[in-house]
Amino acid sequence: MKTHIFRALLLASMAASGVLAAAEKEPINAPPTLSDWQAMAKLPDIGGVWTPLISDQVAQERTNPPPWKPVIAKQVERMYAEEKAGRPFPVIDHCFPTGMPSYMLITHNGFEILLTPGRVTLLGEGDGNRMRRIYTDGRPHPADPDPTFHGHSIGHWEGQALVVDTIALLPQAYLAVNEAVGVPNNGDMHIVERIHLLDEHTLADDLEITANKLLAKPWKTTRKYVRQRAQKFDIVEGVCEQGSYNDAVDKDGNAIFAPIKFHNGVPVGSDSK
Amino acid sequence: MTQARTTQARTNRSRIKQAFSAIILAAAAAASWPVAAHHSFAVYDRTKTLTLKGTVKTFQWTNPHCVVWVLVQPEGGGEPQEWSIETTSPGVLTRGGWTRNSVKPGDRVSVEFNPLRDGSHGGGLNSVTLLDTGQKLSASFAASEKPS
Repeated sequence: MKTHIFRALLLASMAASGVLAAAEKEPINAPPTLSDWQAMAKLPDIGGVWTPLISDQVAQERTNPPPWKPVIAKQVERMYAEEKAGRPFPVIDHCFPTGMPSYMLITHNGFEILLTPGRVTLLGEGDGNRMRRIYTDGRPHPADPDPTFHGHSIGHWEGQALVVDTIALLPQAYLAVNEAVGVPNNGDMHIVERIHLLDEHTLADDLEITANKLLAKPWKTTRKYVRQRAQKFDIVEGVCEQGSYNDAVDKDGNAIFAPIKFHNGVPVGSDSK
Repeated sequence: MTQARTTQARTNRSRIKQAFSAIILAAAAAASWPVAAHHSFAVYDRTKTLTLKGTVKTFQWTNPHCVVWVLVQPEGGGEPQEWSIETTSPGVLTRGGWTRNSVKPGDRVSVEFNPLRDGSHGGGLNSVTLLDTGQKLSASFAASEKPS
């Protein structure tokens, strides 16, 4: 009888400690406190809408190209030749998110930065779900994260700069220097960024990209974005797939999307029929 | 029984093969589906600029690119020909002063554009002028490069 009671107590104790251990292991997103919100007020004013300085993207592409490995440099050379001949390589034609780091490097559209306790969020404007979640709550990267277009990003503030570390990118995500020249990272890419204000109207993203399958050494480059407070710059919905369709009405009078006709990647007919 | 099982297995394999063939064909059809909306404008010949007058069939106000579909009367007569004059995104155009109603079906327009290299009826828009009002709308990133 005593043995039975002892075993029952032991099992109950094990179960209870198991539950506790599980509770300790399972992290939660804690509700923000008043002091969390007050701390937000001290952060640099990087929130809001930004548009890329495209003229500087072009200049950077010319003056600071990635240190491609020789075998990759040959692919890149071929792509530049094709672009020049009017047959641009389709880096973004698939309508998937542009992905990291190309999202920051080559976008022509605006994005919005939201600052909230424990989190910085970038909401993009084109090519589907262009969104980056940067966790600033002190969490580490997961041990085995699922690869995604934008990767897993954790960030922290160093003075006035947001330092972001990104891993777990899909191998198919391009390292692109323009819309016609880019190579899939092929795995193991790691990106460190310092996002900071250059002045009241200019945001800089200093990127250090380590892509061992493509680059002979890590590539340091900077992209600049211009502050937009005018409401006409508010981010608009941008669904890339929608560009493949025109508005139409079906035989029942319902509003539908009707596919348009493409040839060699460009629209050539308002009606595919 | 063994013979029957073997025959059945062969039939099943054959069916699976057929199913796979169907899937591959479907995949090939899907691959040729005309989805190629976001591309580099290097497809258009920027060393050439053409100007055409015509009537707007429709103005496609979509991401990633908007398209002015213009019906142009050929010089030698015959049916009007459709031209697709493509431009940047609604977001960028809005900042440049456009709205989705800037160009409407039936508007008489003059479009200035960089043509496709193979002579097909398409191009990348530089500007569109509404002939009834004289209003000229340009496709430009200039507004996005200045703070506001």
